[in-house]
Amino acid sequence: MPVLEFSNVNKRFGGELAVDNVSFQVGEGRIVSLLGPSGCGKTTTLRLIAGFEQPDGGDIRIRGESVARKRPYERNVGLVFQDYALFPHMTVEANIAFGMRERGVPQSEFAERTAKVLELVKMQGLQRRNPHQLSGGQQQRVALARALVTEPSLLLLDEPLSNLDAKLRESLRIELKQILRSAGITTIIVTHDQSEAMSMADHIIVMSKGRVMQRGSAEEIYSTPANRFVADFIGQSNWFNGQLQGNRFVTDDGLTIAVGDRAGAGAAELGIRPERIAVRTNGTRGWDGANVLGGKIETTEYLGPTIHHWVRLQSGRTVHAIVQNDGQCFARHGQDIHLEIRPEDCLVLGPEP
Amino acid sequence: MKRFTDSLLGLVVLGVSIITVLFLVIPLLMAAVMSFDSREYLGQFPPPGLSTRWYTSFFSDAYYLKGLKVSLLLALTSTCLSTMVGVAAAFTLDRYRFPGREVLSAFFLSPLIVPHVIIGFSLLLFFSSIGLLDGFVRLVLGHLIITVPYVIRTTLASLVGIRKSFMEAALILGATESRAMWKITVPLAKTGIAAGAVFALAYSLDDVSVSLFLTDPNFYTLPVAMTNMMRSQFDLRIASASVLLMIMTIVLIWLLDRIAGLDNVVGQGVYHK
Repeated sequence: MPVLEFSNVNKRFGGELAVDNVSFQVGEGRIVSLLGPSGCGKTTTLRLIAGFEQPDGGDIRIRGESVARKRPYERNVGLVFQDYALFPHMTVEANIAFGMRERGVPQSEFAERTAKVLELVKMQGLQRRNPHQLSGGQQQRVALARALVTEPSLLLLDEPLSNLDAKLRESLRIELKQILRSAGITTIIVTHDQSEAMSMADHIIVMSKGRVMQRGSAEEIYSTPANRFVADFIGQSNWFNGQLQGNRFVTDDGLTIAVGDRAGAGAAELGIRPERIAVRTNGTRGWDGANVLGGKIETTEYLGPTIHHWVRLQSGRTVHAIVQNDGQCFARHGQDIHLEIRPEDCLVLGPEP
Repeated sequence: MKRFTDSLLGLVVLGVSIITVLFLVIPLLMAAVMSFDSREYLGQFPPPGLSTRWYTSFFSDAYYLKGLKVSLLLALTSTCLSTMVGVAAAFTLDRYRFPGREVLSAFFLSPLIVPHVIIGFSLLLFFSSIGLLDGFVRLVLGHLIITVPYVIRTTLASLVGIRKSFMEAALILGATESRAMWKITVPLAKTGIAAGAVFALAYSLDDVSVSLFLTDPNFYTLPVAMTNMMRSQFDLRIASASVLLMIMTIVLIWLLDRIAGLDNVVGQGVYHK
């Protein structure tokens, strides 16, 4: 039985549908991310699961039991708030004990459970501190410990890393993932940060305007986006409008690009990820069977691990290409080069409904 | 030249401040000194000698003592009630958004603007028409009305600083709404609540205008007793009574400073961070 069943849920604020007929399930021990820009309905979805909002339609079940009309304290759900929401007038220990006391855990278990959960988040020895004496990263660990100590059926993380600075964010991301795995807890992570979702979740649900756009693993969503929104939200692409004709795509500005075997024909969009475009100096060849487009390098950004090129094609169109800095590519600003694009790297999307 | 005008302005501001402070303090000091006057009659300042005769006289006068007793009892009773009512009202105004909320809020705070004489007179009419004649009950209700706005204001100001997520965190950790309020919101708002209570106590001790209308021969407050005596028997017991009230106020201000920090309450209106 799935831990969470979110079935055909609607939620309106005023006249606006914040959550529009959304359904998904989360299995035992899975880490699922709700990913989308602000206002996409992901936070409302989280608040519906927590019980801070009530759905206008549909059902929410936790371990088979409908909780749609239940108060937050009647559901066994843990939540780590974006601002951590540690009680400022209580020590770390008292913050962690709060949930155990309210959930009726026997007092005799407090010490052992607290020690266990603090060890899990690597915060031993800080029990007596007050929240304001802790760094942002430490506060987050305490918030996580406080949520985990009551052993909820489901853990919700609201933008877990957004309040931390960029360097800390990356190291904590890996650590957070390890903590969640070792706790073995079913988790839903709400985030607008694609790399956060892709690194931590084993299943991603992309949302926009209250609807689910696509669901799948990070790889599925990145390499086969269901639509233009998903493709643009997760990564970048060079887009061409044109016509799909069998295994070739004719762009409106006159390029013909082999895209491999595709079903269907007619008006469509062609997307090419910048890092899938190879930049070759004239006279060199790389891939067999790739599309070859001539052009001139207009702008180059040297960013260290990668080099970004903006290449003006003969049609006048500019294409963005990202090259790994392997020390071998000597393409320079103003140089005539050619681009190689393999047919299997082309994303072809029908026009959006 | 620019510097000169600046310094001149600085001097003027400093001068005005000093005059203001002197103007506030000198009369109080004079009253305090006069209360120790050794003369039997009301004479010119300064007194030729000092004694505690007016205090002895004050404490042996049944009329004043009764006033002092009623004032203290009334201040404590009305402060307790107005703290409860004010905190409940502030929580409601802070938590819920409902039609008429602004009106209700203005209504709660209106006793700050309406002259107390008007409040006193209206209450007298109202209480008489409903047959409420007990002086103490009338005084408690009257003081409740004038002190509740202070409790609401200071409590509301401290509630504004409490993040909504604290309450939600308590709920998701298994606390009911009332438990969450008791364990999280009330402790976090306690400076505002305490400040409101101290203000309420101070205003209740000090009030004349509302009390004047609501007293009966058995229940009158110390300030009302002083006002009456001023007309019938003007002597320096009034000065000693003033000093006693002053001491009580100073103790309250000291308490307020200890609990909340005076700057927090008066300066910034108890807004957190």
